[in-house]
Amino acid sequence: MSVSPIGRETARVDGPLKVTGRAPYAADYHPDGLVHGHLVLATVGRGTLRAMDVTRAEAAPGVIAVYTPFQPVRLINTFQGFGAENYVPLQDTTVRFRGQIIGLVVAGTFEQARDAAALITADYAGTPPRTSLADAGPGRSQDIVQVLAPGVASIDDVLRAGPVTITTTVTQPAQHHVAMEPHATTATWEDDQLTVYSGAQMPQRSAPAIAAGLGIDPAKVRLICRYTGGGFGGRSPAWNEAKLCAAAARALGRPLKVVLSREQVFTTVGHRPAVRQTVRLAAQADGRLLALAHDSDAEYPAAGGWPLIPAQHTSGVLYRTPNLRLDQRLVTLDTPSTWAMRAPGEAPGSFALETALDELAARTGVDPVELRLRNYATQHPVEGRPFSSKHLDQCYRLGATRFGWDRRPARPRSRTDGDWLIGMGMSTAAYPTDREAATVRVRFHDNGRVSVASGTSDLGTGAWTVLAVAGADTLGLPVEVIVPELGDSALPPGGVGAVGSAVTANTMPAVRAAGRAAIGTLLRAAVENPRSPFHGLDPADVSYRQGRLHSGRRSMGFDELLRAIGTPALDAIGATDPAQDSPYAFHSFGAHFCEVRVHRLTAEIRVNRFTSVFDVGTVINARTARSQFIGGIIWGIGHALLEADPIEPDGRYAAATMADYLVPVNADIPDIDVHWLGYPDPHISESGARGLGELGTVASAAAVGNAVYNATGIRVHDLPITLDKLL
Amino acid sequence: MREFRFERPGTVADAVRRPAPGTAFLAGGTTLVDLMKLEVMTPARVLDINRLPLRGIDQTRDGLRIGALERMRDVAAHDLVRRRYPMLAQALEASASGQLRNMASIGGNLLQRTRCGYFRDVSVPCNKRAPGSGCPAIEGENRMHAVLGASDACVATHPSDLAVALVALDATVRLRSRAGTRDVALRDFHLLPGTTPEREHDLRPGELVTDVIVPDLGWASRSVYVKIRDRQSYEFALASAAVAVRRDGDTIAEARVAVGGMGTRPWRLPAVEAALAGRPAAEASYTAAAEHATDGVRPLRHNAFKPALMRRTLVRALLELERIR
Amino acid sequence: MTESYGISRRELLGRSGTVAAVAATVPLAVADTAPARATTGEVGVRMTVNGSVTPLTVDPRETLLDVLRERLHLTGTKKGCDRGQCGACTVHVDGERVVSCLTLAATLGGSRVTTIEGLARGDRLHPLQQAFIDHDGFQCGFCTSGQIMSAAAVLADGRARTDDEVREQMSGNLCRCGAYPGIVAAIQQARKEAS
Repeated sequence: MSVSPIGRETARVDGPLKVTGRAPYAADYHPDGLVHGHLVLATVGRGTLRAMDVTRAEAAPGVIAVYTPFQPVRLINTFQGFGAENYVPLQDTTVRFRGQIIGLVVAGTFEQARDAAALITADYAGTPPRTSLADAGPGRSQDIVQVLAPGVASIDDVLRAGPVTITTTVTQPAQHHVAMEPHATTATWEDDQLTVYSGAQMPQRSAPAIAAGLGIDPAKVRLICRYTGGGFGGRSPAWNEAKLCAAAARALGRPLKVVLSREQVFTTVGHRPAVRQTVRLAAQADGRLLALAHDSDAEYPAAGGWPLIPAQHTSGVLYRTPNLRLDQRLVTLDTPSTWAMRAPGEAPGSFALETALDELAARTGVDPVELRLRNYATQHPVEGRPFSSKHLDQCYRLGATRFGWDRRPARPRSRTDGDWLIGMGMSTAAYPTDREAATVRVRFHDNGRVSVASGTSDLGTGAWTVLAVAGADTLGLPVEVIVPELGDSALPPGGVGAVGSAVTANTMPAVRAAGRAAIGTLLRAAVENPRSPFHGLDPADVSYRQGRLHSGRRSMGFDELLRAIGTPALDAIGATDPAQDSPYAFHSFGAHFCEVRVHRLTAEIRVNRFTSVFDVGTVINARTARSQFIGGIIWGIGHALLEADPIEPDGRYAAATMADYLVPVNADIPDIDVHWLGYPDPHISESGARGLGELGTVASAAAVGNAVYNATGIRVHDLPITLDKLL
Repeated sequence: MREFRFERPGTVADAVRRPAPGTAFLAGGTTLVDLMKLEVMTPARVLDINRLPLRGIDQTRDGLRIGALERMRDVAAHDLVRRRYPMLAQALEASASGQLRNMASIGGNLLQRTRCGYFRDVSVPCNKRAPGSGCPAIEGENRMHAVLGASDACVATHPSDLAVALVALDATVRLRSRAGTRDVALRDFHLLPGTTPEREHDLRPGELVTDVIVPDLGWASRSVYVKIRDRQSYEFALASAAVAVRRDGDTIAEARVAVGGMGTRPWRLPAVEAALAGRPAAEASYTAAAEHATDGVRPLRHNAFKPALMRRTLVRALLELERIR
Repeated sequence: MTESYGISRRELLGRSGTVAAVAATVPLAVADTAPARATTGEVGVRMTVNGSVTPLTVDPRETLLDVLRERLHLTGTKKGCDRGQCGACTVHVDGERVVSCLTLAATLGGSRVTTIEGLARGDRLHPLQQAFIDHDGFQCGFCTSGQIMSAAAVLADGRARTDDEVREQMSGNLCRCGAYPGIVAAIQQARKEAS
């Protein structure tokens, strides 16, 4: 019996390709006749293009074509509603935000295209854009979530009454995904068939979206994204650059590559909106909550984008309270499109909530861990459903022990190490797992390999390896003989989108279903094919175990069987479609513990160490899961201490470069101690796995902020927490 | 990037022979190539000087001579530099990244352009890049900008760490032109922006930095460079301090003090040096002396914290110096 | 061919070889002999890329990064920012790590360039490559070539020994997935194996 790889340390199956530079990303393809495109972006915040002078660009060496709203390549706007970008470029002269695409230059080389693009000038009739969230009033409410105890008319009455009340307002400016790979598209046409190489989290949604933009049959578009340099939400839609590249390639009859400059990435492919949040708490003197209200005003672009709702899955999930109200409002601004960014609502929402909880702990004198245990929720506070599997209390206790929480000074600014003030903070993470339909194909090959194919994508998450582990587990085979396939819209439909930490939890059951179905196909062929040694047997008398078929004393490998019957491969599709009306609420949980040091003179904040304990159900691959957790925590450190892109009155982002928009470097990151409990979720699926990819990002920023407070006695409410705010 | 003519002069004399406007010298390229891509710099002619013999780190009668084409990494690693001017090595090692330190030359480091985001973005005005167009930084995002030496035309910070340490050490740059060779004190080499922020240094057309000379200063073997930034590495300074002290027992006999991240050029602080002289080597003296650091500061909307940070950085640097040996 | 200093480009290039030989700290430069294309302004360079002598005629605007990726199709080296701000394009020139995005190809006549494709000997992974796999020192893989090339130079330099020293030396290579702890562990493993 081979040992199941589930939960073990399996090295990434894509590792050898990635460490040797042989894994091809979107900009690494060189079809014959390839030409290069470079975008031109608007330099005013709002207005109308009156004219563009492209004569110098068109005359520049190597230039093949210049497209603008005045000489466009046609694209169709298929979406004008709410919740996504609502325009396509070059189809009108409207400038909706600074940094919008207003042109594309195509030339023989990258340098020629880039440098010709710089020769284009534009004449605008401008109007002042709305860019400041701070100057805007409250936005439009989305669905208000409210739970009130019997006899309570308004939550405000409870929040006023106390006995302990906390009001915490936190703000954060725009943040950016900053995936290491700038968005890039290589488009090639063969007759009317388009192949697009472009990083995508949902290749099977991006391909038809590109088709719609071009007005062609979705069956004519294939999108390939086997290797993608990070997503974090920023590659969940097909952005305009991909559509434009494909359209221009068609118009020119040549393969075209468009790679965004790093600066262009900051305005054309989404960002996390700026947001202001207020959490109000009423509690008893012992810290037990009487009411929790969480309001937010988030930037929402006139050009459309992702609506940020930070309270839903944080304040709406985490604590037991008789009165709860969530009002998540959107403020219309003339900013570039917003988009989901790793734990899109949960990361900002948890910073607000977990900061407020820390303030409540400080006010009541209750230890922050104890405070959370006193308000522990065993059922979803809004929906009333029990959680499918929740061991968060163990996360708190185990985390506190591993971290040494008992050494935390209760009084802020009371512990030092030389010239450094030392502080500890903690917080709670939660992230929902959506149960989604999924389809997988398992195919036995006569060379002894088995391919496991899903139309999902691996942004670095580890999905390649999860497919291999799941296939190996299902079929009782070594991981090495499994050939995973993903990142291709032409794979069987039903690949789970690499969003919402959903791939592993939802793909695992489909792999099992497909594996069983493929075994059935194999067994059927074994008894039905005249050339099979099992021919004519009762199917019930033939069994499959660990890659071999058995009946009585007869036994042969599946590859032998396939060769015997002259069939190169046999496969089956497995599909799962979990019921959406489960009696349970599915959420993953975790507890973060952080120690910081702050210099007593110059106030730099450095993270000394970080411990997190998670409750995520079954972990499929320990190695890639750990990396996901650690990566998420590092995002939290960046969120707390570094990441900010201020927007200026004219709509210009002031930090739209990798030198100005600071993400953590290696020297910012200490050892990170990550642990998980390992209780399979008995209700989510037979694999017992919930989602974990974004969980580390949730509330880790609050743990840092709470540690800074413990170190300094200073509570910073406007992120990032930079040294100037502590001087 | 604008098209340009690439040439490789064979000798220093060739390099400076024809000081045509629109000519740029290319050494490590970490500033020039970057800014050419952004079209902030648009030379018509680029002279690759990397193979000119402007190398070497050696003791001369005037002090330590560093060839302008020596790379930051090699200077930081050089035994004479490390032993005699630790602040120089520390300033270099706190700069940029390992890769960039392998590329960037010492001469280029002193000539590097400001990191002001408006200067680097050709879609907005900037008096330094396009004289007379205006300065959005004065009312804009100016957290990183200068509080010393700024004018109504420009508030951009000088970004070099090395230059701060060199100014503290009274270093000189040796310049070569068609007309010959001259030495300029680094303190005078970088210019205040005034009404002409496009003029950043006292370098005549076609003139080439050939050497940096650091005068002998025995007590500089006790010196530190402290750099304060948001990120622990790979970032420009919010504040930095280069400090050397000569002690007479427990008393400070002499001090050299300069700060970075504060001024429109590397900023020497003679008033702080004077205030330290004769005082006991103790935190109270440092704190008192640091008060003089902020004479004449002009904070902007987002960098009002800088004077306090500068004083604290100085105190910290002086305390760190105390702990050496 | 444009005139400069009254000499032709060919003379100039020929002379540059002589000068390089004089400047002792510069690795021996071979005189550029690659034929220049007819277009004004193009530059012949002859560099050795991963052990192969590679004569090229380049547009002076071309960076080493773009030459590697677009001309030689060595796409293991990645363009993350094109501004020297991320380290994804790190390669070795004459044995030292540099960012190829800020290195003009025209300057590299006679230089030895090593990219991620040239790090391993044959089919066996370089110990650092194996260590990156063992410690999961990457996720998306886009920064990985630059990380490994940077790490190889850090190990060759030999001065970074503690975790903190490795962290500092590796801080010019951003990783947005957050694989830093794995990267440090991988480098330490490779360092110990080498010693």
